[in-house]
Amino acid sequence: MSAAAETRRRPLRAGEVAVLLLLPIALINAVGFILPVLNLARYSLNRARIGGGIEQVFTWENWTGIFRDRFYLDIVINSVGVSLGITIATLILSYPIALYLHRSHGRWRTFLTVLVISPLLTSAVVRTYGWIALLSDNGPVVGTIRSLGLPAPRLMFNINGVFIGLTEILMPYMILALLAGFGRLDPKVEEAARTLGASPTRTFWRVILPLTLPGIALGCLLCFVLAVSSFITPKLMGGGRVFLLATEIYDQAIVTLNWPLASTLSILVLVIFGAALWAYSAVLRRLD
Amino acid sequence: MHNFPNARSVAAEHLVLEQLGKSFGAVDVIPSLSLAVRKGEMVAFLGPSGCGKTTTLRMIAGLISPTRGRITVGGRDITHLPSHERDMGLVFQSYALFPHMTVLRNVAFGLEMRNVPKPEVRARALRALEVVQLSHLADRKPRDLSGGQQQRVALARALVIEPSILLLDEPLSNLDAKLRDEMRVQIRALQQASGITAVFVTHDQVEALSMCDRIVVMKEGHIEQFGTPTEIYEHPASPFVSSFVGRTNRLRGTSDSRGVITVAGQQIRAATAEAQGPVEIMMRPHRMRLAPAATDRNVPDATPVQGQNSLRGVLERLTFIGDLVQYHIRVGDAEVMVEEATRRDQGAPCAGTPVDLTWQASDTLVFPAAAS
Ligand SMILES: Nc1ncnc2c1ncn2[C@@H]1O[C@H](COP(=O)(O)OP(=O)(O)OP(=O)(O)O)[C@@H](O)[C@H]1O
Ligand SMILES: [Mg+2]
Repeated sequence: MSAAAETRRRPLRAGEVAVLLLLPIALINAVGFILPVLNLARYSLNRARIGGGIEQVFTWENWTGIFRDRFYLDIVINSVGVSLGITIATLILSYPIALYLHRSHGRWRTFLTVLVISPLLTSAVVRTYGWIALLSDNGPVVGTIRSLGLPAPRLMFNINGVFIGLTEILMPYMILALLAGFGRLDPKVEEAARTLGASPTRTFWRVILPLTLPGIALGCLLCFVLAVSSFITPKLMGGGRVFLLATEIYDQAIVTLNWPLASTLSILVLVIFGAALWAYSAVLRRLD
Repeated sequence: MHNFPNARSVAAEHLVLEQLGKSFGAVDVIPSLSLAVRKGEMVAFLGPSGCGKTTTLRMIAGLISPTRGRITVGGRDITHLPSHERDMGLVFQSYALFPHMTVLRNVAFGLEMRNVPKPEVRARALRALEVVQLSHLADRKPRDLSGGQQQRVALARALVIEPSILLLDEPLSNLDAKLRDEMRVQIRALQQASGITAVFVTHDQVEALSMCDRIVVMKEGHIEQFGTPTEIYEHPASPFVSSFVGRTNRLRGTSDSRGVITVAGQQIRAATAEAQGPVEIMMRPHRMRLAPAATDRNVPDATPVQGQNSLRGVLERLTFIGDLVQYHIRVGDAEVMVEEATRRDQGAPCAGTPVDLTWQASDTLVFPAAAS
């Protein structure tokens, strides 16, 4: 028997198996994510020609520009602020649903889970148009408020609409993330708290909430990232009057054809995501 | 923990269940249960899996509400009192420690919920940890403890609030045999020292017999017998109790009007013989003796020695289990087990030889045969 045949039959080591298994996704990521991002980084250091096109010179002017221009600074602050607000609203609305789902059993649970996931089966465009129909000035919501004799708010084509629409659209993601993080919540532990004299409210604050913090952190990270990068809903429901990072990147890239500026803003979004991820892991470290 | 020197002498009823019942949907798990536990005593709920021990305990703790009946503690009706106002310490089978808190915080939790001043909380929690010998682990998280240590934390957490009643749901079933023995002694000592009324759920008869003042033997949601360990063991109220508590031999026979019982064609007597007709007789294996068959005895017609029973059978096999030898003897179509302490000089009878079993007539329990 030859030495070559001998080595060929040697079983793969665990490390080698891992490399082999990770190779496809690593390649896809390199081609589909790393390269484009590097490309974006390069564009952000080039100069835009008036009316489109890129001048291949090295310059920091895009970066200095957006930090000097109050308009872009406001967009960044606004985007982060609105996304945080939407994340918190999504969390508050989703938490009770997730908790109820976590505690239900059998067919009822399956049914409710399908109900929670079903919005994801519809495109965000369709759901956004649904919200436009509901929230527009002659829609049922405003109509009801008006018939109660209250001053009718403007819910459409401003930040209100974007807020409401995005919150609803992100809720399924939040619920699923919360459920994934509720693993440590054992009903026996809640019962232990009750028998030790904790009222339902105190049980919630002292036991349930701390034990579900990992799920909350995960859900918030996910929803924040999705909110910052969401484009369709702000575009359609903002009516061109709401300026957020995603819509501005679109405008710069497609309307103004200023690719270097669009690239700069995109890299900025990546930096914000990096910060969110850092905050998330910091929270997780604190929890353990 | 305080001492209540009078707790034992005051035999006041403390925890009382009155026709307590629980149904889950159409399933009647507990039909009707009535029971009075005295102040300062430790009562075991003993029964096979699924007989409703946990369900009853959870009703007492207020974690599920009874379908029927009443629960009172010291005369006060607590049937509809929410769990957190009941003042009971519950030790779960799975311990149910708070995974996000240190051992000390776990123990302190109940005191904090009672709004005890902060310095006192810490002092009392530390003292409770000392009692279960875990002070050195106060700052650990529960997941960094062994099963036995977690169990002791759970015990300290339940005891530190000085509850009016301590409820334990199979607290030892996840521990190994040696630790279980130690914890048995420790739990009993703590319970007696604090004079607390305790209910101890178990399906382990040794635990029930060795730790508790009285035992409730449960079967399918009702009480088969409620009595002291000796009563339960020596005077079981039913074949179920007799075979569930301790090892027992069961034989079928027929009792006549004079109280003579015919078993496998041979005649024996019992101390009391109220039953007539088909009966079930029971004897404890260690109360019986084994001897090589006496050839001069004519088995079917022999008149029994006064107060002494005798049955002839064939030794089928014997099992050596350290300090005991178990002899399995075929009598008619039944098998009888005899246990004897091992002796070094023992000339053990060989399998296949005829043997005589002897035991006191007073050690014979007779029950009317079940319909089946
Ligand atoms: N929530 C419930 N819904 C329906 N049936 C239940 C419920 N809880 C318990 N049961 C049933 O009630 C019966 C008694 O259960 P329980 O847990 O009290 O038994 P147990 O005596 O504690 O048994 P074990 O020794 O196995 O712990 C079982 O048949 C069980 O299936
Ligand atoms: Mg149980």
